[in-house]
Amino acid sequence: MFGEVTLSLLQGFGGTLKLFALTLLLSLPLGLIISFGSMSAIGVIRLPVRFVIWVIRGTPLMLQLLVIYFGPGIILHANIWGSGDTGRFIAALTAFVINYACYFSEIFRGGIQSVPVGQYEAGAVLGMTRRQTFYRVILLQVIKRIVPPISNEVITLVKDTSLARIIAVYEIIWKGQSFIKSAGIIWPLFYTGVFYLAFSGLLTLLFGYVEKRLGFFEIK
Amino acid sequence: MASILEVENIRKNFGRTEVLKDIRFTMEEGEALSIIGSSGSGKTTLLRCLNFLETPDEGIIRVRGEELFNAAQKGSGSEAVIRRKRLHFGLVFQSFNLFPQYTALENVMLAPSLLAKEDSSIQKETLADRARELLDQMGLSDRADNYPHQLSGGQQQRVAIARALALHPDILCFDEPTSALDPELTGEVLKVIRALAEHKTTMIIVTHEMAFARDVSDRAIFMDDGVIVEQGPSRELFDNPKMERTRKFISSFGG
Repeated sequence: MFGEVTLSLLQGFGGTLKLFALTLLLSLPLGLIISFGSMSAIGVIRLPVRFVIWVIRGTPLMLQLLVIYFGPGIILHANIWGSGDTGRFIAALTAFVINYACYFSEIFRGGIQSVPVGQYEAGAVLGMTRRQTFYRVILLQVIKRIVPPISNEVITLVKDTSLARIIAVYEIIWKGQSFIKSAGIIWPLFYTGVFYLAFSGLLTLLFGYVEKRLGFFEIK
Repeated sequence: MASILEVENIRKNFGRTEVLKDIRFTMEEGEALSIIGSSGSGKTTLLRCLNFLETPDEGIIRVRGEELFNAAQKGSGSEAVIRRKRLHFGLVFQSFNLFPQYTALENVMLAPSLLAKEDSSIQKETLADRARELLDQMGLSDRADNYPHQLSGGQQQRVAIARALALHPDILCFDEPTSALDPELTGEVLKVIRALAEHKTTMIIVTHEMAFARDVSDRAIFMDDGVIVEQGPSRELFDNPKMERTRKFISSFGG
């Protein structure tokens, strides 16, 4: 029984990992774009972007999942997500990407704005182009600053994927729960915790390694 | 022969505040020029204008007779053009602004090695030797492989001076180079600036170190409220100021 449950949960965890990986892959670049928007000198860009960030960070992700999945049907009277598992997965992915992109954008903004203006000026007076200054001087300092908060968010994301359960997206919690009905046992649901723990442990090690690698220099 | 630097009628406003008014002076090759004056007198803004970190609203800047900046000609400043012009000047900042992720040697080498990519007359192989030589000159030969956070403020500032010199600027500018340092560390920085003056490096030094300015520079400028109140040979300006404002300022330093 234990082996059977483990295999089955591993399968469910595959769904969790898929949602996790695709969310990261899409929300990190989107977050960078949003951060540029939120730092824009042009009010027409900056203010709406800041407004969206406020709404997304100020409401629960679970609510956002429901609004994004059911909202279009209610407002447009059309099912834009398509039917079945794939449709629900895409809706969940969309909600996760928007939510995490907003959080990441604030981290990026903090990281970029914390680099002293003197670093840009030093690059400029040394005859470096803006591009060279950014890639050779600024970028690594930004990365060093944002790795700890990014690692926090990423580890939160591992566990947040379980919220996709609310719109019946196939992942490990859903799988664990299914044993309650099919076999009358609840321990597989509790057992899912081990998978989350193992994976976030792995990520902690990975980020720890990255932080250590960046420890050769210090920033003010 | 043309003066190495001619500054004509520079004017700069920040909003409604006039920070620089009708600034004009010239410099000869090999000269060390001190600029003194209280905080907010416009000294730093003037240096930043020369280094293209600020754009004057009016005026002309010439180096060796070549017009680098003329406020009357708008829009001549594409990034590439300004970059080239900037290289006539070097700037040492009050807060050093070393790049933290590079060693002392890499800080000195970074800009020259990037320039070497587009300028084939720069020999890449010699850059490291040249950088070591400069660090040596700054008394930092044993610090080449240290990162900025492993260095004292005085050492960091000396690396910054080497970094500026590595690009062979016509005129090296210092913006209060010792103001961010503990008193016991200013001496080592002033020593290397003094050595540069002895080697006839063309320099503009904005400083509050009055005795040093009097001693090291050939000429001095006293600025107050955005104007040049008085300029002349530095001994004369410090020992025998003609203007009442200059006298007051210098005596306020107990000198």
